Amino acid sequence: MNHRHLLPEEVDLLLDEEVGFGVSPLKAHVRECSDCRARVDEAKLVVTALERLPHFSPRHSFADQVMAQVPVFVPWHAAARDYARQWLPQSKPARVWVVAAATSVASVITLAVLWLATQTDALVLASGMVGDRFNGVIAQLGRDVIGTLFGDQVFAAVQRAGTIGIALALVGFLAAAGGTLAGLRALAAASSRRRG
Amino acid sequence: MPPALDLLNLPDADVVALAQQGRDPAFRELIRRYERPVFSLIFRMVRDRELSEDLAQDTFIKVLNHIDSYRSEFKLSSWLFKIANNVAIDHLRRRHLDTVSMDGSPHAMTADAVEATSFDVAVQQESALDELEAKELGSAIERAIASLRPEYRSCIMLRHVEGRSYEEIATTLDLPLGTVKTYIHRARHELRRALDHVREGS
Repeated sequence: MNHRHLLPEEVDLLLDEEVGFGVSPLKAHVRECSDCRARVDEAKLVVTALERLPHFSPRHSFADQVMAQVPVFVPWHAAARDYARQWLPQSKPARVWVVAAATSVASVITLAVLWLATQTDALVLASGMVGDRFNGVIAQLGRDVIGTLFGDQVFAAVQRAGTIGIALALVGFLAAAGGTLAGLRALAAASSRRRG
Repeated sequence: MPPALDLLNLPDADVVALAQQGRDPAFRELIRRYERPVFSLIFRMVRDRELSEDLAQDTFIKVLNHIDSYRSEFKLSSWLFKIANNVAIDHLRRRHLDTVSMDGSPHAMTADAVEATSFDVAVQQESALDELEAKELGSAIERAIASLRPEYRSCIMLRHVEGRSYEEIATTLDLPLGTVKTYIHRARHELRRALDHVREGS
């Protein structure tokens, strides 16, 4: 038997349940020495009591109180990902199908745009046709509106006056419409005051 | 709306990553996981419930407001305990609530130095009436913990209540490993002596 009693650091080694070359002789000594065994047991009581200490809880509103003072910022890439996820189905197979379909459509559109970009003449011709068609639609719409509201003679006069005439007619129309609206509003306000 | 997150089963690092993406539930999950350990550590340091709540709130606000700067090689819990300990120690220093060790200065390195800075336990122990009130070992040890130096208290709490290794405690508290071992050894010794007095008193 080793007659030297344990040093305080050696008791700590046993308390911490250290394992290793130097610990086995200490354990052997404790088995044989009642004084050291009592010291270790006493020290273990403290450790056990510490390890049984409960956690305390703050009040239930603790998390809310903390979060009230923590501004949560969603980075743009997370927001974009969330937005994209809104449009995707939840199940994985359906998601794969949607992604595949979207990729196919995007590929076709991209190829079409690239092809058109190489066809400069066709692009100029197509844009000219679209522009002419747009002008025609606007002119027909103007003719219908002015003809319906003021008669064909007024439209003929405006057409003769050209761009300046059309601009003057438009300003006059807007002024008349604005004046009418203002008058109606004033009348409504006066009526409301009388009722009050 | 992002899809529902199963936060309960995620490791801390993943929950932190979600918090860094601005997920409110991830912030709340981190609070849920650590509010009790953090609050308990601070409560055992300052011994005042209202104050502990305020200091625990400060701890979480500091950590969560800087979640973007979290480095994954450092355990989140260690970071939280580090801030909690600093907040509590700062408060104790401000209020001069520091307790006096029964076992001399924690910086005493020789037996003479310990002797020179030691106090008589009989002078430091609470009144006999107070001792009788500590009928259960749990409350007795709480009282004994309260009588420890704050440095000892945080070390012994992290070691035996939170189950941290010496190395983790050293990292958390920014202390040399040897100092942590010394503090814990002295804390155990003081607690043992305090509990002996409780048993003798009762």
